[in-house]
Amino acid sequence: MAQIVLDQLNKRFGAVDVLRDVSLSIEKGAFTVFVGPSGCGKSTLLRCIAGLEEITSGTLTIGGRRMNDVDPAERGLAMVFQSYALYPHMTVADNMSFGLRMAHRPKAEIEEKVAKAAAILQLEPLLQRKPAALSGGQRQRVAIGRAIVRDPQVFLFDEPLSNLDAELRVQTRVEIAKLHQTLGNTIIYVTHDQTEAMTLADQIVVLRAGKVEQVGPPMDLYEDPDNLFVAGFIGSPRMNFLQGVVAEGGVQIGAITVPLPQLSTPLTPGQSLHLGIRPEDLDQTEGVTLPATVEVVEKLGSTAFVHCRLDSGEVLVAEQRGTAAKPGHRLDLRFAMARTRWFDPAGLRLR
Amino acid sequence: MAIRSTRERWILRIAAVPMALLALSCLYPVFFTLNNALKDNKGYILNRFGLVQDPSVQNFVDAWGRAHLGQYLLNSVTVTLGAVALLLLTSSLAGFALAMLRFPMRRVLFIVILASLMIPVQVVLVPFYRTMLALNLINTRIGLIVAYTAFFLPFCVYLMTAFYARLPRELVEAARMDGASLLQIWWNVMLPMGRPALLTLGILNTLYCWNDVLISLLVLQRERTVMVGIAALRGEYTTNVPLLCAGIALASAPIIAIYVFFQRQIVDGIAVGAVKG
Repeated sequence: MAQIVLDQLNKRFGAVDVLRDVSLSIEKGAFTVFVGPSGCGKSTLLRCIAGLEEITSGTLTIGGRRMNDVDPAERGLAMVFQSYALYPHMTVADNMSFGLRMAHRPKAEIEEKVAKAAAILQLEPLLQRKPAALSGGQRQRVAIGRAIVRDPQVFLFDEPLSNLDAELRVQTRVEIAKLHQTLGNTIIYVTHDQTEAMTLADQIVVLRAGKVEQVGPPMDLYEDPDNLFVAGFIGSPRMNFLQGVVAEGGVQIGAITVPLPQLSTPLTPGQSLHLGIRPEDLDQTEGVTLPATVEVVEKLGSTAFVHCRLDSGEVLVAEQRGTAAKPGHRLDLRFAMARTRWFDPAGLRLR
Repeated sequence: MAIRSTRERWILRIAAVPMALLALSCLYPVFFTLNNALKDNKGYILNRFGLVQDPSVQNFVDAWGRAHLGQYLLNSVTVTLGAVALLLLTSSLAGFALAMLRFPMRRVLFIVILASLMIPVQVVLVPFYRTMLALNLINTRIGLIVAYTAFFLPFCVYLMTAFYARLPRELVEAARMDGASLLQIWWNVMLPMGRPALLTLGILNTLYCWNDVLISLLVLQRERTVMVGIAALRGEYTTNVPLLCAGIALASAPIIAIYVFFQRQIVDGIAVGAVKG
């Protein structure tokens, strides 16, 4: 049974519609990631679920109970904030036990729960320190610890890794994934980083301008995007897009003719459309050929990204392992038709 | 900052002259007060500026007992402590609400409070006195505590609001998620976080309340605070200057003690007001 259900949820700040008709259901124990560019409403959506923002219209149910007007603390949620929001004047132990103390739990229970959470997060040596004496990663763990101690049904994470440096971010990401496996709670996680979304999520919710663009498991979104936006947003480097026109016997892209794709939607000559092809699909030895000029080569060690320009002016990124290409070289990029995705001028997927 | 060139050193030496004069102008009255407080009236009249010849503490004894300064001092302490406590309590609550909570007319309310900062005390003295009279608060310490709180509150609310507005709102949200009520958030999070600003306000308001003559003179007419008591030591035709000096020394001792004790916080506090306020 779905644990959290959003039905036609709307949020308005004055005249601005921040969330528009968001409907969503989140299964118990699932790791759901809200992802989207900044300003898309993903944090607002999380805060509506948390109860920190009022819901303008629509319903939010958690565990079968309508929660629209329920106090944040009564919703059975715990939240980890982007800035961690640790109380600077309290020790780590006091920070973690704050919620339990507010609930007037017995002292023995508080100590036991704090000790347990500290053990999970390896915070024992730090319990008597103040947040100012902790590193960014340690503060992050305390913030997670404060959430664990309350034994919530659902964890909410609001961009928890964005204040960490790159290395620590990868490490903490793995820790959060492990934590989810250990505790098994439902997690809703907000990020603008599609890599985080891809690596952590059971289910990704892609948002744009307050609307849900697509919901699904990471690989479904990657392989089978519903529209141009999701196709471009998921995957790094992003999918390449080329504009073309349907002609007799093929699709005309600049000076090149690509064979007509096998789509269930009938194509009429003169119709314009977008071809999408991922960088890693541009390294075939046979197939459709795109002659291009190399502009920049980014070598990452295990692989390399070659930024090229077609003769018709479009810029493409191709992943080419062990390439010897240098800026200025001519390069034939080849791809298989099966790996292409097609979109109509409005950006909707043609299947 | 390291001083390198001789030119810079000379500029500093020249700048030190007016500084020294300024320091002297502050220190001399202190010396004058202490020096004359130890003379008797005759010794003062014969030699006003000379060093005391046969020091005696009789003036202090007289000021404490005969001039009732001991009792006045107690009034001052009671009223100052009461007013400062009430001010800190109220302004911290108001600052929390104005900075962190969202409620209708919040900005209007804040502007009205700010606007009341612009009204000088003297302008509202008559309506103020009539109000106090109508409330039966004349000649009560409670009345004076309430009066001080009313007059100094706008500035305190302004400072606390500005201070709290700089704190991340997520702290309050985290506490709400943790199940704390508004009052619990204020007591457990906002009050301890507001410490630097509250210290500054505590010290400033202690000074204001302690040194006030005007409001105190109006409200406490039978009982007196120490500053009014000292003002009353000045006669119309003759003044016992050594007694007055002893009174001044007695009255300023607590303030100086506070300054010495909190020197660090006062300096930091001024920075709080400047940078964060």
